[in-house]
Amino acid sequence: MTATQTTILAYLGTPIFGICLSIALFLFGQWLFKIGKGFFLFQPLFVGMVLGIFVLWLMAKAFGVDVTWFYTNAYKPGGDIIFWFLNPATIAFAVPLYKRNDIVKRFWFEIIISLIIGLFISLFIIYGVSKLMGMDNNGIASMLPQAATTAIAMPISGAIGGTPAITAMACILNAVLIYALATWLIKIFHLTEPIGQGLGLGTAGHTVGSAKALQLSSAAGAMAAIAVVIISIVVDLVVPTFANFMGLIK
Amino acid sequence: MADKANVTQATQDEKKDAPILVQMGIFAGVLFVSSLISPLFPPTFPVPVPVVGLILLYLLLTLHIVKVEWVEKFATFMISMIAFLFVPSGIQLTASLDIMKAQGLQIIIAIVISTVVLLIVIAYTTSFFIWIRKTVFHGDVSVSSEAKK
Repeated sequence: MTATQTTILAYLGTPIFGICLSIALFLFGQWLFKIGKGFFLFQPLFVGMVLGIFVLWLMAKAFGVDVTWFYTNAYKPGGDIIFWFLNPATIAFAVPLYKRNDIVKRFWFEIIISLIIGLFISLFIIYGVSKLMGMDNNGIASMLPQAATTAIAMPISGAIGGTPAITAMACILNAVLIYALATWLIKIFHLTEPIGQGLGLGTAGHTVGSAKALQLSSAAGAMAAIAVVIISIVVDLVVPTFANFMGLIK
Repeated sequence: MADKANVTQATQDEKKDAPILVQMGIFAGVLFVSSLISPLFPPTFPVPVPVVGLILLYLLLTLHIVKVEWVEKFATFMISMIAFLFVPSGIQLTASLDIMKAQGLQIIIAIVISTVVLLIVIAYTTSFFIWIRKTVFHGDVSVSSEAKK
């Protein structure tokens, strides 16, 4: 370990640097979103992510250390603390789901069948698009499990011959993209029906998509919450079979 | 006297939120039990802790073991924080810069398309099945956008 690295660890190796940086970036994003009159690329999450990567890259270059090393040792300790709170935030969705139990009781069959059939159709399209773009089997296998939450998608990706790190990247980008583009996508594709909106946002955007759905209506929010749970289990069961069927697993 | 009676009536009707520490305690308890249940699933069928927790808390609410006013305030707060809580995940991509360099734009474009495909296909499939219930089975498909009190 070089002298610079020791100095960095001494001053930035505690969690508080990562926490302060995250809060500062997000608040800056909120401010930018406000003065930018809601321009979609100024979504605080998107701004925080892009600027955060840029700031860390810049600092690593300034100190003359490896970017990944700098991220792992200076940012990650604080980032992990914030990240942990996604656990209680995810189980919090039980509340909006419970409050719309009326929809769950009436439409449980449509919810389950739509998620299964919808996922199957999506897998075929994702497979086709990836194939057309000239991706190899490893790349395609990494794309297939992304409808599930990261903790489920990564092991499945590994099991069907994909790269778990790429799948994790896909899950993260899903959420950021849905958060930034959901309003616009819903408008141009005329997704007006609240149950469809909710299931779609929960599947494509995971918990972040569910938070977005909750802003649309309590019905959409509840459906997004149930989609996060059911799609994870459906992916567990369907994706390995699909990969086998498509000959991705040798 | 009549006013006083009304006030008592009003406070009784109003649901009383549990203190925030109690709400956090319920969340912590649910998470702890989930972390004990989650490893019981086989590695080929992973069900992560937060997903177990969501199901568990939902069951506790549905079976009226936990009252909604015991957890609602903290739940609403946590959900309002989600975009911020996700910032470290986004920044985590710093560690994936090498993958992006190696795979180029191709992988990013594939992910963007996949996201849009998932949203639209699931939404349209759902609309289709609801349309079937409406036209084939003549079911009632009206959904109130807000919950009834």
